Amino acid sequence: MNILSKLTSWFNSGIPWVWLNAAAVSVSLIMVFGLLGLIAYNGLGHFWPASLMEAELVDGQNKTVLIGEIREIKTVPAQQIRDSGIELPKETQWVNRLLIKQGNRDIYGLDFRRVLERDVMNIQYPKELVVIERREWGNLYGRLIGLKENDQIIQVDEPYNEALSRLETVLELHQQAKNISVNDIGAINYNIEKLRLKEKKLHLEHYSIAADLLSQKRLHIEEQRQSLNQTFIQLQTKIQTLNEKMSSDVILIRLASDQTIEVPLENIVQIYKPNDMSTVQKITHYLHQFWSFISDEPREANTEGGIFPAIFGTVLMVIIMSVMVTPLGVIAAIYLHEYATQGTLVRIIRIAVNNLAGVPSIVYGVFGLGFFVYFIGGSIDDLFYPEASPAPVYGTPGLLWASITLALLTLPVVIITTEEGLSRIPSAIREGSLALGATKIETLWHTVLPMVTPAMFTGLILAVARAAGEVAPLMLVGVVKLAPALALDSNYPFLHLERKFMHLGFHIYDVGFQSPNVEAARPLVYATALLLVLVIIILNFTAIVVRNRLREKYKGLEG
Amino acid sequence: MTFDQKDVAITVKELSLQYAAKQALMDISLQIPENKVTAFIGPSGCGKSTLLRCFNRMNDLIDICKVQGEIIIDKQDIYHKSVNVADLRRKVGMVFQRPNPFPKSIYENVAYGLRLQGVKNRLLLDEVVEKSLRDAALWDEVKDRLDENALALSGGQQQRLVIARAIAIEPEILLLDEPASALDPTSTLKIEELIYELKQTYTIVIVTHNMQQAGRVSDYTAFMDTGKMVEFSETRTIFTNPKDRQTEDYITGRYG
Amino acid sequence: MDNSRMGKHISQQFSDELEEIKNHLLTMGGLVEQQLEKASIALIEGDTKLANEVFKEGGQVNALEKMIDEESAQCLARRQPAAGDLRLIVTVIKAVNDIERVGDQAERLARFATQLAEHPRPKNNYHEVYQLAQHVQSMFHDSLDAFARVDEKLARKVINEDVNVDHEYEAIMRQHITYMMEDPRSINSSLDVLWAIRALERVGDHACNLCEYLVYLVKGEDIRHSEIPQL
Repeated sequence: MNILSKLTSWFNSGIPWVWLNAAAVSVSLIMVFGLLGLIAYNGLGHFWPASLMEAELVDGQNKTVLIGEIREIKTVPAQQIRDSGIELPKETQWVNRLLIKQGNRDIYGLDFRRVLERDVMNIQYPKELVVIERREWGNLYGRLIGLKENDQIIQVDEPYNEALSRLETVLELHQQAKNISVNDIGAINYNIEKLRLKEKKLHLEHYSIAADLLSQKRLHIEEQRQSLNQTFIQLQTKIQTLNEKMSSDVILIRLASDQTIEVPLENIVQIYKPNDMSTVQKITHYLHQFWSFISDEPREANTEGGIFPAIFGTVLMVIIMSVMVTPLGVIAAIYLHEYATQGTLVRIIRIAVNNLAGVPSIVYGVFGLGFFVYFIGGSIDDLFYPEASPAPVYGTPGLLWASITLALLTLPVVIITTEEGLSRIPSAIREGSLALGATKIETLWHTVLPMVTPAMFTGLILAVARAAGEVAPLMLVGVVKLAPALALDSNYPFLHLERKFMHLGFHIYDVGFQSPNVEAARPLVYATALLLVLVIIILNFTAIVVRNRLREKYKGLEG
Repeated sequence: MTFDQKDVAITVKELSLQYAAKQALMDISLQIPENKVTAFIGPSGCGKSTLLRCFNRMNDLIDICKVQGEIIIDKQDIYHKSVNVADLRRKVGMVFQRPNPFPKSIYENVAYGLRLQGVKNRLLLDEVVEKSLRDAALWDEVKDRLDENALALSGGQQQRLVIARAIAIEPEILLLDEPASALDPTSTLKIEELIYELKQTYTIVIVTHNMQQAGRVSDYTAFMDTGKMVEFSETRTIFTNPKDRQTEDYITGRYG
Repeated sequence: MDNSRMGKHISQQFSDELEEIKNHLLTMGGLVEQQLEKASIALIEGDTKLANEVFKEGGQVNALEKMIDEESAQCLARRQPAAGDLRLIVTVIKAVNDIERVGDQAERLARFATQLAEHPRPKNNYHEVYQLAQHVQSMFHDSLDAFARVDEKLARKVINEDVNVDHEYEAIMRQHITYMMEDPRSINSSLDVLWAIRALERVGDHACNLCEYLVYLVKGEDIRHSEIPQL
């Protein structure tokens, strides 16, 4: 009885509810930070130069030497191992299993290998082991034993240093070749394609143009094409020479199995000795790896290299979407709140807008594909780009349609928040302006709208957060696994809205679930997820800073 | 009461006003003299603010509001359809119950009305801003911080700023809707003092709940009840010897 | 004062305060009336004992006067009365003054009564003075009555009565001037009589003032110094 009454009074004091609230907040915080922590831990570890071990692997009577990184040590039930046909002593309940990245995919066929801990013996970390990051086939692990130039072995004291210095030259040449092929040849291809379309257009319009004019124009096009082709050939010879220069150097690598292979320097991204690195070097290496991840293009079906195009695509799409959704949403909100007669119709519209916010995003994707891409895009193609047919220009998923679809998806959010902002403005302010002889539009423009900007930014923040994380509709209206070119380049008109683009969200899905090399891709999934979160945080943070500055300006009005 | 026609700023003739089904003003006729302070007093909901807001057509903002009768300012019925409401409001300024400065600088608040009229000449703006702030007895307090946000001012200063903002566009008539009800006594007295100064130049109509205030600042007082004009007379008469029993009951704090 | 023509104050306390001020005023008036009566009797009958009572009561009247002044000041400061209430307070402040003066005149009368008691008394035993005293007393009584009942008509009657008092006063004065010329020995007592009737005449004036205040209180119009008081 006493305890009961104490309990009752404790309940009545309200303290339990405070605790309940605190608990709810703590759980939410723990979940958010736990998630971020998990992503960061798994993603960021990937760039750390792991030590290379060399060990003997006992397989029955055979012993083989193995070089690789220990990626994971997992304790598994012994029964599971027995089931897979490996014999273990009866009393063993649990065994440790190692996941080793042995690299050399071109030779072993597999990057990763699972072995039991008891089979691994004599683990050593020799300093001279090198990691060779290649443009194809992933990493190569082994010992650098020599260099060859034009098939002649060169005698040097320090083959590693020599290889590094030569690699630097080769990388520079590679960069040059890449610049030429991407920028110059890209521009030529672009122009040749334009000429082709121009010619086709002439052909389509031939009946409306005088014959001599037509032939004159054709001649002109032909001349241009000739000159472009000439430059093209020149550039190609340039690349040829560069390639020849690059391919002259080869390094010799002895693998764990004592086999020696030749690796041409032109296939190599970098060489390093992880066991011979000081902590500072490791940190430098780590930052360098992280930077290449952000700034490089993907290789090897997105499982290697960086994710720059995906970041770029995500940000560009979000920006274009913001540019479209903000004015539209704000104008719609102003009309609904300030001008429309508040009646049943407006109420219905408002309910409809609210409901739009709850429609599954894939539905928007389907709508975008059907309406924007096929109907509007198709019509644009028919009207303005007849020469391109049957290849579509705008009648195919692309950046523009993805942005518009997401703008449509986030429109309700912007409308709702802006309207809320409008209704929060004290009527005294409007009256004050009107009483000074301002018309309604002047009042809106000079007084009300500046005060609503924080609310607009709130809407934009919510819209950006939603749009940047959206994947499903994008798969239908413009995102691809690998875009051939960025949507922004140096060819006029610079911003190519019709192009397809890459997106971090889709990249995660693609790398994580569509990749042939799942083990290699897993850290990348986390790293990409982390970057997606970072991109969203940065976009939001910018908007929040701007909004808070505006809010500061209008502080004191509330209350 | 009647006045010589040339001394009258606003003539109200048989004015009735309806909010939806509610009759807010009933058949009101009165003349408001020029360059005098006229106070409207009466219990809450008696229609005094509504009447005041008829003078610059602020009631237009409410869709369901219907007006009959005439209000004549400058020989023109302001409810005639040829009247430009924005022009009217430039001529008939208004100050509201709660100070409502715009979230802009002090300078921009005062210059707002002129900027609306397209004045861009900085020298002219400077001059008008200074004059208006001086007339509103605020210049000495803010002259060093004209670029500061107006919301940083105190309530009393904000209200004087709003008055400065209203007189910057040189209206003929100034409507004050309970201008001191949200202020402390000192600020209230400053506003009252200001009203006394301003009546040299402007015709002032003030709505107030505070009868002592009406007694202090006004030359004429109108007592309204349930949408009707009960008594309109010189303030001195109303406060010592009202003719109507309802008025007497109201100002002596009795219930009828 | 009866305020039945108006509603009740929303603040009951305010009503009570006003009521109290009025009651105090009437109490004071009653006291002064009593003083006046006693002084008149003392004068006629040469009763020095009665005259001393009048002096004693003077202290009470003064105390009441101070109290009413204080209450009125408080009311003005804290209630800011308007219209009828304001006129009431203004009237009370002024009436208190007049009533107090009447009290003073009563004391004066009592003083002359003691002085006259030492002189040989005339045959008619100051009958004419007694008549005047009666007249003035009834005027003062009526004015207080008018106050208590808010009787404007009565007040105007009292005002009109003042002329008669003045006539009586002049008649008595002439009579005593004659006495003094006839018999210089009577100068001493006649002068006292003259002072006494002078005091009585003043009381009549104060009663008149009270009634004028009452008209102001009721009508809101100031009828002082207007040549022809209208009926």
